[in-house]
Amino acid sequence: MKRFFAIIESPFTRAVLIGIIVLSFQTTLFNTLRPFSVVMQVMLLCSAASGVAAGSESGAIAGFMFGFMYDMVLTSPFGLSALVFGFAGYMAGGVNTFAYSPRWWFKMLSIGISSAAAVLIYPAASLVVGVDGLLQTRVIGVAFTVGLFNAAFALPAVFLMRWALVKSKKQMLWAE
Amino acid sequence: MYSFTRRRLIVVLLLTSVLLLTLDGSKSGLVGGVKDAFGVVFRPVERFANVVSRPLSNVWRGVLDYSDMRKENLALKDLLVKQEGAAIAATASVREAQELLALNGLPTLAGIDSVTAQVVGQSPSNFTQTFELNRGKSSGIRVGMTVTNGAGLVGKITGVTLERSVVMLATDPEYAMSVKVGACTRPNTTTTAVPQTTTTLVSDGSTSLATNVLPTTTTTSTTSTTSTTTTVLRRATTTTIKGFTPFATTLPPVPGGGGVSQITVPETGVLLPRETGAMEGQGIDRLPVIRFIQTSTRLGELCGGVPVVTAGGSQSLAPADLVVGTVSRVVTRTGTSGPLLEVELAANLQSLNFVRVLLYQPATEIPQ
Repeated sequence: MKRFFAIIESPFTRAVLIGIIVLSFQTTLFNTLRPFSVVMQVMLLCSAASGVAAGSESGAIAGFMFGFMYDMVLTSPFGLSALVFGFAGYMAGGVNTFAYSPRWWFKMLSIGISSAAAVLIYPAASLVVGVDGLLQTRVIGVAFTVGLFNAAFALPAVFLMRWALVKSKKQMLWAE
Repeated sequence: MYSFTRRRLIVVLLLTSVLLLTLDGSKSGLVGGVKDAFGVVFRPVERFANVVSRPLSNVWRGVLDYSDMRKENLALKDLLVKQEGAAIAATASVREAQELLALNGLPTLAGIDSVTAQVVGQSPSNFTQTFELNRGKSSGIRVGMTVTNGAGLVGKITGVTLERSVVMLATDPEYAMSVKVGACTRPNTTTTAVPQTTTTLVSDGSTSLATNVLPTTTTTSTTSTTSTTTTVLRRATTTTIKGFTPFATTLPPVPGGGGVSQITVPETGVLLPRETGAMEGQGIDRLPVIRFIQTSTRLGELCGGVPVVTAGGSQSLAPADLVVGTVSRVVTRTGTSGPLLEVELAANLQSLNFVRVLLYQPATEIPQ
């Protein structure tokens, strides 16, 4: 029983649950709201926010997980989003460590930059695995818009992912 | 998990991604099974999210799309009025063509069963162009089947679960299809008097099998068994469709017709030659293009406005003569690469609601 609760309380179990809920809004609400004909990437936002909230390694794992879930609903090569989102989580965590004590705007910047980079890398990675035609000039505009949106919503996302991935002292005591 | 060193972690994630990509590429069915299982768990959550977020989506649509929709509605009403007359004439022509094809034992679209499905979702990605339909395996839909709507080709089925299926649009960069395209005729838009000849058979002088309009000259000859009425028509025809030339209508041979064939073969000079090329999607906001068309003396000159239809054949993804669209631009290229034709699709892929899935699975898509 104790082990069961430990699993339930595990950071990555929480992340999976958050992932499913966020994915459901990604495929419904954010699929409709398309400013400048660009789909907002909230799964990517969560991936990058994981890196900022819990560090590069946890960000990479959480990002990989979110990307894996996203791959489940896409028709693109399976595993590609997992790879790119994992990179985004890792990069966001890495950029955030450049500042000794990152301020709120630096977190936004980390998430915005890593999200835009992930959007740019995705078509390039597609090309490597044999999917031709995605690397177009339009990608720059998409990366800019997604980066801007993800930067704007960075702080609530970081808060959510910190709740999911970083155990508080109280929780640690309870688990013991 | 936290004991992983940074380098090990990166290597493990990279290897896992490569493994997943390899599994996906091998078409083993494992990935499809995992996706199906995830879909079973995820679908109720998605449905709940849809219900919760619908008011917000509606507000967004109402704020941003209302004026556009109003304009579009007015334009569509005008278009509808113009199209009604043309549709009646086209239906008659299509029926006639289908009868002829059936009589000659050739496959027609009318002989292919279809399933009507509604678009229930769209790809959340900025790169892939797919739609989700509310019908799946249980309705007979399989991977590779062609999807159309009232206007023309929409795409093909790329994924299917029990109750859902995913359509890849014809504009997706991964979409390719062999198509036929004709040369243009000169003059392109004219009002001309086209002499038409219709042969009408009258059995024992009592029943007419064909209806004519505005006869100007009538000649009647009678034999011992059948009487033949030949009506020569002369009427003004306005055509704006390039590549379409009206020619003598044909009637099937009547059994026991006294050894005289009643088929009127159109003159070879009137039939337009058509070349086959490969149409490929170019991504969002870009028109599909046709490659591998060679300019030849047989084909003649290529120009915009010419209709594009599917080529068909045993290896093709779609049955023959399905309307794809019209050529919107011809890009001339130097060397042996041949011209590049941009295609304006007949179907409006931005506002799809109900579509028709042709239950025709190409030989190339049937699992071995």
